[in-house]
Amino acid sequence: MTVLDLSGVDVRFGGNQVLSGVDMQAAAGFTGLIGPNGAGKTTVFNAVTGYVRPTAGQIRIGGQPVPPGGPVPVARLGVRRTFQTPRLVGELDVLSNVLTGLDSELTRGHGLLEFLGISRRARAARSRAVELLGAFGLADAAGEPVANLPLGSQKIVEVARALASRPSLVLLDEPAAGLSAADVDRLVEPLAEIGRADGLAVVVIEHDLEVVSRLCPRVAVLHFGRILTEGPPAQVVAHPDVVTAYLGASVAAVHP
Amino acid sequence: MTHLPWFSTRRLLGGLIAVVAALLLLGLPGLVNSYQLFLACLVMTMATAGLGLVLIMGWSGQIVLAQAGFMGVGAYGTTSLVALGLPWPLAVLLAGLVAALIGVAIGLPATRLRGFYLAIATLAFAELMLRIFIEAEPITGGIAGLVVTPVVLGNLDVGGSRWYLCLGLAAVTALAVWRIGRSGLGRRLRAVRDADVAVGSLAISATRAKLLAFALSAFIGALAGAAYAQVLTYLTPHIFGLTLLIELLIVAFLGGVSYVGGPFLGAVVVIGLRELLQDIGSWQRLAFGLVLALVVGFLPRGLASLRSRIGAARRRRADTSTATPQARDVTAGVAS
Repeated sequence: MTVLDLSGVDVRFGGNQVLSGVDMQAAAGFTGLIGPNGAGKTTVFNAVTGYVRPTAGQIRIGGQPVPPGGPVPVARLGVRRTFQTPRLVGELDVLSNVLTGLDSELTRGHGLLEFLGISRRARAARSRAVELLGAFGLADAAGEPVANLPLGSQKIVEVARALASRPSLVLLDEPAAGLSAADVDRLVEPLAEIGRADGLAVVVIEHDLEVVSRLCPRVAVLHFGRILTEGPPAQVVAHPDVVTAYLGASVAAVHP
Repeated sequence: MTHLPWFSTRRLLGGLIAVVAALLLLGLPGLVNSYQLFLACLVMTMATAGLGLVLIMGWSGQIVLAQAGFMGVGAYGTTSLVALGLPWPLAVLLAGLVAALIGVAIGLPATRLRGFYLAIATLAFAELMLRIFIEAEPITGGIAGLVVTPVVLGNLDVGGSRWYLCLGLAAVTALAVWRIGRSGLGRRLRAVRDADVAVGSLAISATRAKLLAFALSAFIGALAGAAYAQVLTYLTPHIFGLTLLIELLIVAFLGGVSYVGGPFLGAVVVIGLRELLQDIGSWQRLAFGLVLALVVGFLPRGLASLRSRIGAARRRRADTSTATPQARDVTAGVAS
């Protein structure tokens, strides 16, 4: 079933056409979104999550059109995302940072119950966060201020925060960028497993093609704001238009 | 995890210190003279007002320069409601709610402003409140002033009652602010400050969190104002002007604006300075301004941050002399 459906999406900033007629679908499971720098990948995420308003086209999440009013109403539909540079709260410990992903559920009375230390929902949130940190091998760092963690671990914490509320759609913006090989393993395996267990639709922007092919059975390629092609990673990477997009026309002529 | 074991010498020592401190504070009226007790009341009052600033300035990162005004609302509101025949606790609560409403009213336009512009806008509201204290003569007595009816608890004397009132308010406020800091609201406020872009994507409304912070810090300011009225026994509008505001900023920033213990440290220093600088008259304001500038310039996270900074420096030294990045993570985990 299609969770995310973009049809004919245009995004323009002044005279700068960033996306033109983007058609893209994502179902439960992992979908890759690749393309050269400046292709508009992050803009796709920004359009889906309400950070940017498309100038034309339709974006549907779980069959519903994206509600107006910025990121909050979209996030309430069960959409979570990460950012290229992790946006965490440095002063708070790792566990609390993951909990911020669940805090929107503590409104309307539950905030008061949590303040008094008697909210069942807050306890459930805590155990969910602990469970996620365990899955990503960060249980030992739970009490550590997140600012003390190396960048690789911070990026994993942000992914855990995005997964915490069991969303239906997760958008990960270059989760493996800047990660060591060991960190990549620490990220990819639990991510694949949680994605499967929770039945998530996950869209991954990633330059590391090994990570993409490990996670995503299907990949879409974006170039100059247009979808160039899509399909299984091996097939997409060999596509002549994709080679041209990444390496230029002369190289494509040599490697047909 | 960094939890200490259930029983350890460190825990025992901490518990002992806490018990001794609590006993000292509870027995203070019998240990010091009435003037010293008056100063201690001032410390608790200033610390309470500073706790409101921890919420809004420390955690949510909004620069709000209206806390002296909210203290005025609490002081005048409580005093005049008591004069109307309301019992003191109820009067405090009502004055607090009024302050919270004013806080939200200031917060509504303020959620669209940031940094310097927010600071100036809230300062303008503070001046407006001061003006109202001067003009609303029937309620506030205008510049002629207003006599405060002292609250007497049980068979204590006025000084003792005042102390337990100030101590109680400070303790309850500190406990509440500490709980907020560890709850979802505390996390949301810090996220608004540090992860501005991300909060929306977590279904957290930054506007709502900021308005809650405005309301709570104004409410706490009014509580402090009600206690301040008891300490001063006589109110004039100019008490709640710029001088008090600057003192409150020192209270909040000197101790460390994001630590619950910070305002208590800051309040001791400010009240101490007030005593030492009594003879230099209006130069006091210059001195306080200078202290504030030095704190913000050289110790932006306050005295309370020194401990963790010293710890971090020690770890760095240990790192360069011994070992690998992994070892650093381990020591960090143990030390904190």
